[in-house]
Amino acid sequence: MSANVPNVNADPGNVNYDPNGDGKLQEEFVEKWRNNAYGCFTSGHKFCREVCPVVQVTRNENHSPTAFHANIVGMEKGLVDVEDVADDYIHCTQCGACELRCPNTLFTGDFYRNRTQTVSVVKAMRALMVDKGLHREQWKLWNRLTDSLKNEPVLGVEENGQPNGQEHVRDWAEGFDIPIGDETIMFVDCEAAFYRTSYTRALAQLLQMGGVEFGLMREQWCCGGPAAEMGYVEQSRRFAQHNVDDWRAVGAKRIIAVEPHDYVHFTEDYPAYFGEDFDFEIVLALDLVAELIRDGRIKLEKPINRVVTYHDPCRLNKRKGIHEAPREILRAIPGLTFKDVDHVTQWSYCSGGGGGLIIEKPEITAEISRRRLTRASELEVNTLVSACVWSERPLTAAGEEAGIDVMDIFELVAESAGIEVGGYTSGPRVGADFEEGSA
Amino acid sequence: MSVAMKSAVDGGVIDELRAIIGDDTQVLPNLTSRVNRTRVPAPFPVHRWADHMPDVAVLPTAAEQVSEVVKLANRLKIPVVTRAGGTGLADGAVPLRGGILVDVKLMNKIKEIDLTDRAVTVGPGINMLKLNEELKRHGVFYPDDPASYPCSLVGGRIGASGFSLLSARYGHTRDLVMSMQVVLPTGEIVEVGEGGGRKLRKSSTGFHLKQLFMGHQGTLGITTEATLELVPRPEVEFAAFFAFDDYMKAYQTVGRLTKSGLSTIAGVVLFDEWKLAYLRRDDEAYIPQPPWVKAVVAVAMYGSRTELEAASRRVMELGRSEGGKYLGDEISAGDWASRHDRYATPLHGRLRDGQVVPMSWHCEDAALNYSVLPKVREEWHAIVDRYIDEYGIFDDWGMFAYTSSAYKPWGDYLVEIDVGIWEQMFNEENWRAWVNLKREIAEVSLKYGGSITSCHGATREGDAGLVPREMGSAWEVVKRIKRALDPNNVMNPGKQSLDEAYASTNGKQP
Repeated sequence: MSANVPNVNADPGNVNYDPNGDGKLQEEFVEKWRNNAYGCFTSGHKFCREVCPVVQVTRNENHSPTAFHANIVGMEKGLVDVEDVADDYIHCTQCGACELRCPNTLFTGDFYRNRTQTVSVVKAMRALMVDKGLHREQWKLWNRLTDSLKNEPVLGVEENGQPNGQEHVRDWAEGFDIPIGDETIMFVDCEAAFYRTSYTRALAQLLQMGGVEFGLMREQWCCGGPAAEMGYVEQSRRFAQHNVDDWRAVGAKRIIAVEPHDYVHFTEDYPAYFGEDFDFEIVLALDLVAELIRDGRIKLEKPINRVVTYHDPCRLNKRKGIHEAPREILRAIPGLTFKDVDHVTQWSYCSGGGGGLIIEKPEITAEISRRRLTRASELEVNTLVSACVWSERPLTAAGEEAGIDVMDIFELVAESAGIEVGGYTSGPRVGADFEEGSA
Repeated sequence: MSVAMKSAVDGGVIDELRAIIGDDTQVLPNLTSRVNRTRVPAPFPVHRWADHMPDVAVLPTAAEQVSEVVKLANRLKIPVVTRAGGTGLADGAVPLRGGILVDVKLMNKIKEIDLTDRAVTVGPGINMLKLNEELKRHGVFYPDDPASYPCSLVGGRIGASGFSLLSARYGHTRDLVMSMQVVLPTGEIVEVGEGGGRKLRKSSTGFHLKQLFMGHQGTLGITTEATLELVPRPEVEFAAFFAFDDYMKAYQTVGRLTKSGLSTIAGVVLFDEWKLAYLRRDDEAYIPQPPWVKAVVAVAMYGSRTELEAASRRVMELGRSEGGKYLGDEISAGDWASRHDRYATPLHGRLRDGQVVPMSWHCEDAALNYSVLPKVREEWHAIVDRYIDEYGIFDDWGMFAYTSSAYKPWGDYLVEIDVGIWEQMFNEENWRAWVNLKREIAEVSLKYGGSITSCHGATREGDAGLVPREMGSAWEVVKRIKRALDPNNVMNPGKQSLDEAYASTNGKQP
């Protein structure tokens, strides 16, 4: 298998792209996913429904994972075509709760590796939609701009909303003296580089305090993950190729993923794209910070007088099973009152910020975040702490309505470590030139 | 025409529905909305999928909207099928003649929590797990606890008159619903309960209409609101599993446990030899038992610590009194705690020669008295065995018997035989085989003085034809009620042989 041929076992959701498609794309899609779909179809118990953040809001069965699979059986039977069902698959944050709650996964998953795959199905369906020209307008625009800017237009899709990515992609690091290139590279997510720079500034300073040596990329493009989530697989692969080439050019061995979406993309999609050639060590920044605190290399001495609860980011908790490190960190912060909600209960929680939903269906994202903040209000906390920069934008908007601060865990840790974070939490000031933007 | 037929839904009807619902996004005539509201988890004739599509789905948010939709349907004689969770096992929510599908999932609000008179009022679209998440902070819970607890909705529980695993302690859906608001087939909104009051458990006024609107499978109306019992959260939950080398010893033990007089017993479950063999061979989640184990008895108790400390000792004595071997705390607590996740069993079964093939689970249920359990068990297994030989798409996954009386563990049982079906092989011949298998199972239940269904509903082909026989001398009354309330047969037509209610008029308007 050559370097650019995907490993079909790693994540079938990413290999649907077929630039030379001959009109049989739908047939191939069905052939590939029919057995997975039948596993759900013939069971049909819908345990996924009440845990799905989208269906909790819309209550529409078309948006349920059950429908995502049934549609494939329907396509096989000639009852529906991709055109008929495309809209259903927009309604998904790819949080993975459905897969965890699926009785098929629960009881055959371990032994038979027969986990019901729904996130991959959604990605593959969206790829099929793109291949068939069934674009969603907002996703199309978003990915076109990403393609031209090389970073996502997180500051706005209107003309001149977003500066050219590469000139500003390292602006957040002003004053930090971080080298370009190193054996360890900190890959900075688009949202973290342009919109919530406090996130990134807090993390970079914590790593420096802990004595972690790392550099930045020469030219950092978007990771490509969002493109893959919205079905723009070719673009995703092209961006991945660029980033991997950049890493190799500086001799990088280890990549720090600053947030969960990158982490999922680097550990699932990149290996699928590059197969065994993908030999980088991928480190989740959250794990690294937890380790530095545990080892006493970051000392948390300043008391934080906040009453907080923790939002389990979907891609950490549901997709990757990571829920202990953030709780360990929060319990290490002096002065903090931490009201925890267990991570299994949080399978049904979400910010709605993932999987492109916020771009195409912002009203659903807003309602998902609003409900998440209602849960937090019931605990009588003044702060909701997350560990995912993409969640923090919609959660912050809902937090303003609910009178609850939304902070990232790195921002909180940095404060307790006595660090002046700087940067901004919601993009540069309105009306200010980008270069001047700082909070 | 007195019987609503497929289908009078045209653009004009869609426009009227949009005007009634007031939100175009909740009137769904598009193909995917219809395709995805055809099925429930019961085996589905996938080769005739399109036959079960509604013409349009609507998601109302208020009883008044439901009322107007039903009035429209009644005026134009368009079938109306109600869908809550769509998790039933006997097709109550499956349209047989197209029409308007009223999907109640948006009616999922908690309207009132009354901790003084112990009642919660909800819309029919709420799920019990979600409801209990809200009730938890008040120290109460709603104990309607089916295997589908994480996915079924209150409206569907009422429509199917659901079974609760904890019924011996807390009752079933029909006992836990105090009153409800129902839209009749002609569109009027009525309140039914025990007499008049919305939060009363017992009265002696008038007819007790509540039970008439319980378990009708969408054929008599649409529940738009329900007032439910609130129960103190139990302090302690205790489960014990006992293994036996012989089914009859396990059966006798069930008899002793259920007649023990221990009021904290919430449920007793009997696993038979086929069930043990199936779990051993094909359910990797099951904790394997030694080969001598031929039957298992599980007993669960809920209550205060004071009650359960004493009662659990007595249960341990009774469980061992016929040679039962306690399976240990880990299996007892663990298996009971995972009971909801055992709902869907592994996605494979075996052909006669041991070949593993993809199969889905179907559970065929009946209501039976204790005295007939051993005989019915033998006859049911023999039927399934014959169909396995003849068609090669079925597998016998064994039987459970669950205590099924309300507020007491003795008397009757929900008895189920789990049949694995290789559904990808369904064609008309194999589908007919499945329907016939069901009918034979149901006929055994009737022969032994039972009911053909304890909780799924007799709405599926095979069962539905036997409803008149089971109802016997009361069938005429049933038909009169149906015709009186639903003169145009618009509510879920084609179910439970209720078309017979209109046959006497030779198809003319009654």
